Amino acid sequence: MGPGFWPVTFLMLALSLICAWYFLYGNIDWILPGASNPLTDRTNDIDALFKFMAVSSTAIMIFVAGYVIYFGVVFRARPGESREAVGVPVHDAPKLEFWWTVLPSLLLVVLTALSIVTWYKIYFGTAVPALTAEVIGHQFYFEYRYPGLKNSVYSKTEAMHLPVGVPVRILITSADVIHQFWVPEIRLKASGVPGLVQNLNFTPEHAGTYSIACSEFCGPDHSLMQGQLIVEPVAAFNAWLEKEKTAAAAGGGALNLAEGTADAGKATFAQKCSACHNNPPTPFDQKLVGPGLLHITDDPAHPNLVSGKPPTPENIADILQNGFNGPIGQMPNAQANGLSSKDIANLVAYLVSLK
Amino acid sequence: MIEWLVSTNHKRIGILYMVTSLSFFALAGFLADVIRLQLSRPQLNLIGPHSFNQAFTLHGTAMIFLFIAPFGFGLANYLIPIHVGAPDMAFPRLNAFSYWLFLLGGLTVFSGALTAGGAASAGWTAYAPLSDVQVAAGSGQDLWIIGLAMTSISGILTAINFLVTPIVYRAPGMSMWRMPVFVWDMIATAIMVLMAFPSLTVVLFMLLLDRHAGAKFFVIQGGGDPILYQHLFWFFGHPEVYVMILPMFGVVTEVVGVFSRKPVFGYTGLVLSAFGIAGLSMGVWAHHMFTTGAVDDPFFSAMSFAIAVPTGIKFFNWIGTMWRGAISYETAMLFVIGFMLNFLIGGITGIYVASPPIDFHAEDSYFLISHFHYTLGGGSMFAIFAALYFWFPKIWGRKLDERMGRAHFVLMFLGFNLTFFPMLFLGFMGMPRRIYTYPALPGWGELNLLSSCGALLITLGTALFVWNLIVSSRKREALPDDPWGGGYTLEWATSSPPPEFNFDFLPPIRSKRPAFDLHYPQYAKDSPE
Repeated sequence: MGPGFWPVTFLMLALSLICAWYFLYGNIDWILPGASNPLTDRTNDIDALFKFMAVSSTAIMIFVAGYVIYFGVVFRARPGESREAVGVPVHDAPKLEFWWTVLPSLLLVVLTALSIVTWYKIYFGTAVPALTAEVIGHQFYFEYRYPGLKNSVYSKTEAMHLPVGVPVRILITSADVIHQFWVPEIRLKASGVPGLVQNLNFTPEHAGTYSIACSEFCGPDHSLMQGQLIVEPVAAFNAWLEKEKTAAAAGGGALNLAEGTADAGKATFAQKCSACHNNPPTPFDQKLVGPGLLHITDDPAHPNLVSGKPPTPENIADILQNGFNGPIGQMPNAQANGLSSKDIANLVAYLVSLK
Repeated sequence: MIEWLVSTNHKRIGILYMVTSLSFFALAGFLADVIRLQLSRPQLNLIGPHSFNQAFTLHGTAMIFLFIAPFGFGLANYLIPIHVGAPDMAFPRLNAFSYWLFLLGGLTVFSGALTAGGAASAGWTAYAPLSDVQVAAGSGQDLWIIGLAMTSISGILTAINFLVTPIVYRAPGMSMWRMPVFVWDMIATAIMVLMAFPSLTVVLFMLLLDRHAGAKFFVIQGGGDPILYQHLFWFFGHPEVYVMILPMFGVVTEVVGVFSRKPVFGYTGLVLSAFGIAGLSMGVWAHHMFTTGAVDDPFFSAMSFAIAVPTGIKFFNWIGTMWRGAISYETAMLFVIGFMLNFLIGGITGIYVASPPIDFHAEDSYFLISHFHYTLGGGSMFAIFAALYFWFPKIWGRKLDERMGRAHFVLMFLGFNLTFFPMLFLGFMGMPRRIYTYPALPGWGELNLLSSCGALLITLGTALFVWNLIVSSRKREALPDDPWGGGYTLEWATSSPPPEFNFDFLPPIRSKRPAFDLHYPQYAKDSPE
């Protein structure tokens, strides 16, 4: 085998055991966020699989890399040996080759089986979800929908809420390009694909605030597509849902044009409108997709809005709220554009200020 | 000059392929530095998101389609005819056509950067609908599609040569079972190319039709399906991974045998495992789509785990070759050791992502970035450098400087691991890929900075290598046929560089290492039949 083969092998075994001990009993929160206090029942399953894999793969890593280095050192050509020195011409060992095929195969069969069992739980482990929430990806925000709630919750301004101890099912899809819903602390990730709804099932086990990231590249502002997940006790969750329902019944966070400020509107315009309307705003005829919006209230050539109504703040707000569909083109409504009532008030204040 | 433009000689075409692919490597490496600079600190805004997205799109595209795979094709072009004792490829004109098509394709992809909207910016995978015309209106995306279609067709044509030449043009005595493992690996590679690349060509044309003829293959409102794009793309994309690594497995096998000074261990196992990898590689593609929930996760997971077995066999056989050898550490061998240590991490992290539950966490995070850079950068790129140090004397008639070579290796090995090891942790900590900036969460800034420092070392190493190329290629020395003193395969039995039709005198081929038998007849009895 070579000088010192057994001591070196023993050393590698010891190193593997130390690593195994660390993965199983050490604090690995810095690698897997919240591993010491798993957020959901599925997190627990996935972490258990991770630990099994970490222990076995680290051992393989140590042994294979160890033997590459060990053989590389002990079987090096000694200085002074002539160029003609040759190694021992062994080039086949059927028994050895048999075992180094069979043993890794067996380990892989075990890993496959454990993976499939855990995978099955993720999709089918929750028999009857008590709450189903929907996540819809948009460029570049998430929209959340809850049963009984007329209005959606948008990740731009608000967090997603989930109750502790309740089996939930999250349905995920997308309205435009492919997005991905990822909460690292849950360990689960699902693609939102247009035309396809997929689900994740789990039960949150304790309260806390976590970030949601879009992890599938979805366009220029992909890095800004983030959200917040608030996991809270059932009572707090219900109170939040009731509050949202009341607000929805009162007219969706009631549009109050007096609240709007032109400065905030300018920022929103750059973010939400500039894909289709020139920014900074240009006169009506200089179109991008939609018309230029400079002088929207005082353009002698276009005394009325595209809706045919006079350019009052209320009528501008109406287009922003409900969208527009006419010969000049179409503009999506506030929901599709991800505009809150507050955003609309700000935008109106800004547009009216453009003289 | 004109001789190079009109040449159908396989050695010239091989050199053109290698020089071109190395130029694209330099470009893609520069883009990687831009990416690492932008990501060196949290919330930096050195370049805007649009430039960043173009940078990583071109970086990935160039490294995969224009550097690693074509370098392997170039090396194979140079070596296959010599390895089997033939004067040239089976179809020399087709061979020249493939090269020029590849060059044109590569330039077309990069020409997108000169258009008004900039180069393609939908990532190297260009998933629909992100790459559809409503979202990516610029002609940069069209040039990307057309350019890649050209390289894809070029790959198919060149694969025909790799498959036919060793089967029909072997010299007397060169039985199939005496061919170098590199040639076997290229046959397996050619089969994968022929099965997988047509799928890429098709999906690119479908995307083009979607963009400009309203075909709606991938548009949900028109009855199409974005998932179809992913199936067709990855049906090509996963075999492509092995198209990039299998030729390099061949390089490692040849180099490790020569510098261990004993016959390659487990020849039969190495050959059969190449076909095992090629076969299985056609059945794992949907593991890139676990998180879509639209594929049979258990099946593709089991297939992905299974492909680790033939890959492991290759690995164990390299260790078996070193075992009881008399190993000398020329730079080529150092890069092979670097390859083994890096590729080991690449392979083992591959086991993690083959498991759907762990993939649900790791997919599209920096863990995945680290994983595939360990296979393609730490693996293929290191083997490419091993190949350059090993065969440069044969190709150019000069040895590359060994002292600079060793420094190059140290810079690359440290730099590579400094860049990509921290990413394994960043990914599990929650950093998604393809974000142009990130919040200052605990540890993120530090790990990213380490990573960016590593990129600097890699850049220095590459610069040193270029310097070495310039200095060494001007050296005046007359190299013998066998400058390493113990080469096995037929290129070491002809002059450096070889004559136009490769051999003035072809040695008798009575074993798996004819050049060695010729130069060391006293050991010929040890050469495996």
